[in-house]
Amino acid sequence: MSTASLVSGTSFSMLENFSFRTIVEYLPLFGQGLVTTVWLSALSFAGALAVGIVLAAMSLQRGWLFRVPAKAYIDAVRATPLLAQLYFLYFGLPHLGFVLPELVVGILALSLNSGAYVAEIIRAGILSIPRGQVEAGVASGMTYVQRMRLVILPQAFKVTIPPLLGQAIVLVKDSALLSLISVSELTRAGQLLASDRFMPAEGFITIAAFYLLLYYGLKGLAALSGRWLGLQPARSST
Amino acid sequence: MTASPSKNGTGMIEFRGVNKWFGALNVLRDITLSVEPREVVVVCGPSGSGKSTLIRCINGLETIRDGDLVVDGQRLGDPATNMTRLRTEIGFVFQSFNLYPHRTALENVTLAPIHVRKIPRNEAEQAGRELLAKVGLADKVHAYPAQLSGGQQQRVAIARCLGMRPKIMLFDEPTSALDPEMISEVLDVMVAVAEEGMTMMVVTHEMGFARKVAQRVVFMDAGAIVESGTPEEFFSQPKTDRSRAFLSKILRH
Repeated sequence: MSTASLVSGTSFSMLENFSFRTIVEYLPLFGQGLVTTVWLSALSFAGALAVGIVLAAMSLQRGWLFRVPAKAYIDAVRATPLLAQLYFLYFGLPHLGFVLPELVVGILALSLNSGAYVAEIIRAGILSIPRGQVEAGVASGMTYVQRMRLVILPQAFKVTIPPLLGQAIVLVKDSALLSLISVSELTRAGQLLASDRFMPAEGFITIAAFYLLLYYGLKGLAALSGRWLGLQPARSST
Repeated sequence: MTASPSKNGTGMIEFRGVNKWFGALNVLRDITLSVEPREVVVVCGPSGSGKSTLIRCINGLETIRDGDLVVDGQRLGDPATNMTRLRTEIGFVFQSFNLYPHRTALENVTLAPIHVRKIPRNEAEQAGRELLAKVGLADKVHAYPAQLSGGQQQRVAIARCLGMRPKIMLFDEPTSALDPEMISEVLDVMVAVAEEGMTMMVVTHEMGFARKVAQRVVFMDAGAIVESGTPEEFFSQPKTDRSRAFLSKILRH
């Protein structure tokens, strides 16, 4: 029994019978799923930032000791499907003695995956700061940490905001995969509707609409932060 | 040759047989040079002669291969020398200013005093305002670097160095990136700093500046100090063919 044949065979009648009533009926479930998607994505993105900052710092070291493992990790994550990584953690961690709730495994997987991409964004941001800025900091007696904190990161931050928000959008959509390890997020709500009532259109079009909503939310945030950051240099007029 | 007018060990900056290579290129050859406290030394020479590298070694922006380099009594490369600490005593003015673009003029001046020297913020800010006034930028305290002309930026950069109350100021072609009409405003500030008794090494081709405040001109070519003397001697009676050739080129126009 496959939903695929059901969809292709009856697509016309399916759309003719499109049931808004069922969607409304399931709205509380979608609502819960949406809320879960939002907070688990937020948490995962925070995790991705933490992972990404550490990886970026490691990959910028001159010595191989930190740089090589960071690069290997980033390559491994970028070269393999997120689904494989998710299953790797979901089925693998219990073998190592870590039995964690699905939600935790999901957040972990998203953080570790997105962290690799965030690391590359941060690394590129830091490398985009001219060498003279580092030298100015060095020449005034700043330590590495002071230089990073006072000179490099504030400037890198500005150029990384737009790509980081892009990565956040990707993460929100990727979180749909967590439905496969039965985390009750937005996509899972759509799946439930689709399988309970045999109404895939109602299920998946609705979640698509909600993802679109989240996308515009994040995009608005990006525009807002862009305006806020863009304002900074023009702010003062002595 | 020796460029030291005094006995060993008394200089604020002491190069003794310093060599440096970039790969196979010997960019500094057997440099021996002593700069006394309160002395102003101008370094000139053709492009690629190693002048910038020479002064970049003094605050450790470049490292040396062999020989001794002693700055303010501390030997560079010695494990006992705290390089970060030593750098707080050395101001460095870059050709391209390198102001912090995300900080105002005042913040550029106060950043290191507050975070490195640990001077209280209000004290650092008052000193910063005074320094900006001294370089003629009292009305640009809250301007961002992008809102300033090249000459103004370089004056902020000099104020930024002075804010650390350094013992030594190094200038790496401070006016080379400037439009001609802005050069004198920067040189005036440098003259004022020199007249207050700062120990200075200045890589520049500004001969007016050299004649006015330098005690000594050092001429470099191909990584070596070829000639050294008072500005008067050097500009009117260059001793070597290479310095004559160089001077004829920069004096032609």
